[in-house]
Amino acid sequence: MPSNAGWLDRFVDGLPETRFFQFVAAHILVPYWAWRTPVKLLPGGPPPSVQPGDNVQRMMNLVMPLKDKSPVGRAKAALAIAQNKDEIYAGLDNVGTVHFARFVIVDNNICMFSVYDGDFTNYIRDFIVTIGSVFDAVVSLVDGGDDVIPSEDNVEKFIEWVHAHDMYQVPDLATGILRDQEALNGDTAAPGNDDLRLLPRQLILQLNVNNNVSLGSGYRAYPGYSAAQVRQQFGSGW
Amino acid sequence: MSTVFNPADVQGNILRGYHKPRMRHLMLEVTDRAAARRWLAASTSGGDGVPQITTEEPWETKPETCFNIGLTFEGLRALGTPDASLATFPPEFVEGMNARALKLGDAGPSAPENWPAPFNDPKRVHLIASIYADEIAQLDRLQHQALPDGKGLRPLGAREGWCFDGDYVHFGYRDNISQPRFKEIHDSESYSDSQPMAPLGTVLLGYPTNFEGLTWRVPQPEALGHNGTFNAFRVLEQDVVGFEAYLDKAATELLEHPDVDDLLPPGAEANIHLEPGDSLSRHAALREVIAANMCGRWRNGVPLALSPDATDPSPDVSKTNFDYDGSSRCPYGSHIRRCNPRGGQIVQRVANNSRRLVRRGMPYGPAYDPAKSRGLKKDEPERGLLGNFIGANLGAQFEAMSCDWLNLGLQDPRVTGSNDPLLGANEPETSWFDLPLKSGAAIRLRGLPRFVRTRGGAYTFLPSLSAIRFLGSLTN
Repeated sequence: MPSNAGWLDRFVDGLPETRFFQFVAAHILVPYWAWRTPVKLLPGGPPPSVQPGDNVQRMMNLVMPLKDKSPVGRAKAALAIAQNKDEIYAGLDNVGTVHFARFVIVDNNICMFSVYDGDFTNYIRDFIVTIGSVFDAVVSLVDGGDDVIPSEDNVEKFIEWVHAHDMYQVPDLATGILRDQEALNGDTAAPGNDDLRLLPRQLILQLNVNNNVSLGSGYRAYPGYSAAQVRQQFGSGW
Repeated sequence: MSTVFNPADVQGNILRGYHKPRMRHLMLEVTDRAAARRWLAASTSGGDGVPQITTEEPWETKPETCFNIGLTFEGLRALGTPDASLATFPPEFVEGMNARALKLGDAGPSAPENWPAPFNDPKRVHLIASIYADEIAQLDRLQHQALPDGKGLRPLGAREGWCFDGDYVHFGYRDNISQPRFKEIHDSESYSDSQPMAPLGTVLLGYPTNFEGLTWRVPQPEALGHNGTFNAFRVLEQDVVGFEAYLDKAATELLEHPDVDDLLPPGAEANIHLEPGDSLSRHAALREVIAANMCGRWRNGVPLALSPDATDPSPDVSKTNFDYDGSSRCPYGSHIRRCNPRGGQIVQRVANNSRRLVRRGMPYGPAYDPAKSRGLKKDEPERGLLGNFIGANLGAQFEAMSCDWLNLGLQDPRVTGSNDPLLGANEPETSWFDLPLKSGAAIRLRGLPRFVRTRGGAYTFLPSLSAIRFLGSLTN
């Protein structure tokens, strides 16, 4: 019990909270671990599933670092969205499988967060076909974007690029991240230390590689319906 | 890039069906890179005794046998294709069919872990050679000719298909009715079809696709990628006993259903035949109504879109020339409408014609004989379909069709959440299928089991003749 702990216990327990230890952990320990145990980048998007309910209302959290990391660069990104907003929204409407989509600037990233139905590559491919040329104006402002535009001439590359910029979605079960690491490495051995109270090294190392992640599959007020099912129920045409 | 179509450069099993009653797929492993390359080089000319690859060149007299090959990504690698080239192949092909299982609905009993050899070890399946002939002796002769000593290529397994009843396949339907048509290709068996002609890029790399201004990446160098295409080879086991038992059960339940007269008015069974002139009981006629709704065609191939009430309409109707409008009585969830919605309304508005595939399938295993069957699946030999599903982009065609349409049913909110009644990854506890009624209402069938189980397969690249020469001439 904490109240019964002696002064030495309290001192040791408090060490991780000290600035010195935090500095050592962030600047020496983690880089050393990362060097000793390289961890692969986990891919973006939701995990594949055969359950119909898992294949509707899926999340895309696209984080694209701006080339120009200044207020001017952010303003250019804001204008690129504003100038093309109507066409982008009309295009999303025509893709047919998109529930919601919004554009956000976070730090020096232009982000597109959307909820869509079905397979990720089908979504992006239909998106390119519908409004790729308009969206190219946004992608041209992003680091590495020039390699994948015009998107119509680089469909496969564009889809892979979006996939790489879509946040990894940490499974709902916290230990799922460890299983994903094992799957990515082809590791079939029995699971190791899954005690998450110990802030496992694997989790730290994964977040060292995947800086931005989505935590879990998120809250839903209602079970999985497709965008077209919702539209049909409301009589708004699909 | 040459966009002028040269039929002598394209393998012959892509754009036309050979209509041979026998075929054999040989799954091969490259054991000696240099010998395998010599074999490939010889196959383009028929030298060194290696069977010559059949091309798309028009023939005056149909050859006795035809011979074609497909290569997996592991096969390209085993042949020493440079890394820079390998990097230009699309990710779904690179990963291979086993790794894409969940997208294809290959879970549970269809999961790759349950596939028999050689498909349980995909790293070793390098090349699939396909022989087409009239008789088994010809298949044997060509196989011996192709693999006289096992040098360079080691056989891992074979699958043999045969047409046991013309174009009829194991569930008793007539198949092989409609394919994409291409304006560049002279089709000796032209038939009327309201569907637009498919651009050549639907099925060959290096040509315009269904999407205006959009082209698929051609694997490099050009000699390797141009005029090639991709194939999803599938071994699909069909549970005929289970299928017929389900029709029996569902028809029995329908007889008691309050709306059954809307589905099949009393006396209308006279319009439904299995054989010309036969007289079916109401139960037997309902079985056929259910089977027709599940497929979208009566078992003789007549489409429900044109003949919703009769198996043999008078006057006769086209089997190919139809579309799905708002009043069509072909169920949204039927197999043929799911997999190819033609011009009908769908959720993905740009996808109406973009996911089309060339399908070349042939049954395997003995025909089902109800007179000899005890009605137990465990007593029956394995039977099914050896399918080639060909398209220039596996992700945009075969996978897109499989994961969003065949299963899940995303194309129409009225079927979303259900799977294809014939091919889908169905579980009796959750599956459903709607039989549309003339009134606009529907009778919902439940408890459909999985009738088709995947028993193997591979994504292959069907290289052009130039590509086979390119691979045959590698020296690293």
